[in-house]
Amino acid sequence: MNLIRLLLGGLAVATISVSGTAHAAPDGRELYIEHCSGCHQMEGQSGIGLPLLNAKLADVSDKYLQSTIRLGRPGRVMPAFQRLSDAQVGAIVKFLRQRSETTEIAYAEEPVVGDAAHGHTLYTEHCIKCHGADGSGEGQGTGVTTSRERTFLVMPASISNPGFLASAPDQMIRRVIHVGRKSSGMPSFDSKLSETDIDDLVAFVRSFEQQARSVAEIDADERPTHVFESPHDFETTVNNVKAALTGANFRIFPDRLLEQGLTDEFSVNTRQVGVRFCNFNVLYGMLKIEPRLGVVLPCRITIMEREGGEVILVVPNLRVISRWFNNDELVGLWDRMEETFTNIIDEATL
Amino acid sequence: MKTATLKMFLLGAVLVIAHASVADNMIMARVPLRAEIVLEYVKASVEEHGYTVAHLQLCDGGMQDFGYKSDFYRVVFFGKVDEVRMVSEHYPELVSYLPLKIAVIAEKDETLLTVLNPEALAPFFPDEALQIQLGRWQSDLVSIFNDVRRAVGARIVSNH
Repeated sequence: MNLIRLLLGGLAVATISVSGTAHAAPDGRELYIEHCSGCHQMEGQSGIGLPLLNAKLADVSDKYLQSTIRLGRPGRVMPAFQRLSDAQVGAIVKFLRQRSETTEIAYAEEPVVGDAAHGHTLYTEHCIKCHGADGSGEGQGTGVTTSRERTFLVMPASISNPGFLASAPDQMIRRVIHVGRKSSGMPSFDSKLSETDIDDLVAFVRSFEQQARSVAEIDADERPTHVFESPHDFETTVNNVKAALTGANFRIFPDRLLEQGLTDEFSVNTRQVGVRFCNFNVLYGMLKIEPRLGVVLPCRITIMEREGGEVILVVPNLRVISRWFNNDELVGLWDRMEETFTNIIDEATL
Repeated sequence: MKTATLKMFLLGAVLVIAHASVADNMIMARVPLRAEIVLEYVKASVEEHGYTVAHLQLCDGGMQDFGYKSDFYRVVFFGKVDEVRMVSEHYPELVSYLPLKIAVIAEKDETLLTVLNPEALAPFFPDEALQIQLGRWQSDLVSIFNDVRRAVGARIVSNH
C-alpha cells in the first residue's frame, strides 16, 4: 500500500504539472526523490544517510533543515546542495514537514552565554563517551547503511561539524541537552545538570567553531592521477609492479587490458594493461566506512607503452579521489594508503 | 478505477519521479527493486546508450572467498573503444577512470546505483574538447540511471 500511496503521490504531481496553474513552483517531493532518496531512502528510513525520523524533525526548525541542506556536513558524507535555489530548498523542507506531519520549533537566535571552560569539564564527564573528545562522534562509519552492521543504530551527531554549528542555534543545542533525543538515544540531562551547567555546555559546544578541521586540504596543484615514467621496458615494468604489490601484501587479479571487452581480441591494444589488486581485509574495513567505494574499485595501476617505446605508469591519486566522497574517515585512511602506492611505484621503477 | 486505467496513471506517476541525483562528485539513484534484477536493467540501458559492457566485477564474491560476510555488490565496467583510445592517446592521466563504471549496491530489497560524476574531473582538465566529453559522459550516466528507474517503475506497476 505504501507503494500505491507513493505512486499516487507522483500522479498528483503529474496532475498539477499539466494543470498549468502550479507548474512553476518547485515540487518538494520530486526534489526529495531526486536529491535525497538515494541516501535517506524514499520514506527517510536511512541508508548511507541518517534516518529522517519524525521525532527528529519535530525537534528542529525549518531554518535548521534549510541550512543543513544548503551547507551539508563537511567530511560526513552529506553533501552541500549549493546549486538548489532557496525556493527548491524550501520546497524540500515543506515536503518533509507534510510527510512527517510535524511542525517546526522556531528557536530564538539569542546566543547562550556560559562558561566554556566549565562546559569542557561537564562535556568530559557526560558527553565525551558518545560524541568523542573532538565532538566528531564515536564509532566506525559515517552513516547507517541498513544492510551492514553498525555499532550504533545511529551514529552520535558530529556536534563539532561546521555544517551543524552553522545550522543549529544555541537555543536548539540547549533544548536537546535538556530533553534529549529519544530517536537517536541521546538522554535528557534535565535531572543531572543545572540551567547554568547546560549554558556552560552550550558555550563549550559552540567553541568547537574555533577547532580546525582534522582533514588537511590538498595542494592546489595536485592532479587526480600520478603519471610516472618507467626506466624499464613494458614487460619488465609489469612484472616489477606485480612483485612490488605482492611484497606489500596485495592480492593480484588477472591482468586486464584497457580496451579488453570493448573491442575484438585482434584489435585490442595489448600494450596498455591494468594491474588490478586488492587487500580484502583493508577493503572490507573501507566498505564499512564508505559503501560507495565501488565507483573507484578495484585498485589499479595502468601501464602503457607509448609511441617511441616510452613506458608510463598511471596511478590514481588517492588524496584527490578520497575527498570526492566528503568522508573524513576515508580521507584519513587513503592519505596513508597513498604512501603505500608511492612506495610500490618507487620499487617498481628502480 | 479500472485496473488498466490505474496502471496507466501509476506508470505516469513513476515517469514523473524518475530522476537521478547529481550531488557534485557522485551521481546516485535509489531503485526499489532487488539488486540482482536491477543489474540486468543497468546493463541493458548501458548498451542502449551505445556503450559496450566490458566486464562485471563481483566485489562481494571476492570478499566471500576470503570469508567475509558481504552484500550483493557489483561493478559494471563499460565504454566505447573510440573514446578510450582518444583518452589514452591525448589524456593518459585519465585512463585510471576508464572504462566508466557503475556500482550496483544492494540495500535490503532496494538498490543503490552510484557512479563517480565525470565532471568532477573537469576542473583538472581545461581542454575544451575534453570538457565536452566529460559532460557527455555525465549526461549519459544520468540518462542511464533515469532509464533504469523508469523501467523498474514500469515493472512494478505491471506487477500490481
